[in-house]
Amino acid sequence: MKSKNTIKRIEKGRLVGILVVSILVIATGILYSVTTFMKGDNIGAILGAIIAISILAFALFAFRRGNRDLREGYPLHDERSKRVMEKAGYKTFLVTLYLLLAIGFLSEDIIKFRDVSQATSVAVGGMALLFLIFWIYFNKKEI
Amino acid sequence: MKTRIKEFRARHNLTQEELAKKVGVRRETIVFLEQGKYNPSLQLAHDVAKALKSTIDELFLFENQKNDAHHTLKCVV
Repeated sequence: MKSKNTIKRIEKGRLVGILVVSILVIATGILYSVTTFMKGDNIGAILGAIIAISILAFALFAFRRGNRDLREGYPLHDERSKRVMEKAGYKTFLVTLYLLLAIGFLSEDIIKFRDVSQATSVAVGGMALLFLIFWIYFNKKEI
Repeated sequence: MKTRIKEFRARHNLTQEELAKKVGVRRETIVFLEQGKYNPSLQLAHDVAKALKSTIDELFLFENQKNDAHHTLKCVV
């Protein structure tokens, strides 16, 4: 059985890990925006910047909240928050299958993607957005 | 599912925060438990019951339990 201090140290490490991953994602978003802007696609650059700023705001909020909770003696995750994550995860997986199918069908005629990486970005972005929506939904709903 | 956690918590002069810290969960979990919006694991139900010096049976009322109580009352009347 792990002691309280060990659990606290692990959770602190997890929080720092989340922050590092968020910074990497934000850096990728900025790089994407800059390269897209240099290619002359202003809308793509603005969209990339908006996504990077949104992730930055969410990461800062999550880090501050997590840090405060750890200081006050609450765990970062408990069985309910884990169950919410699991439910949001599997729903996201199922809906993403339809999203990928839709992207596949629509990219034939209706949506013109610049290249495969742009279509992949839309799929990954959509998946992240779906997860956020399901997470908020299951966090409010009876589980 | 209905719970009597709020009632027992008040008896022991515990806040939601204090109970959450005692059983090692987040405060929201206690809020949802009190509202009957979360089905806890057996372990958590046991921990909450222990923290409130009670039993799982006393704290958590299930649908069939409510019906049984209603039926008993009807029979008595």
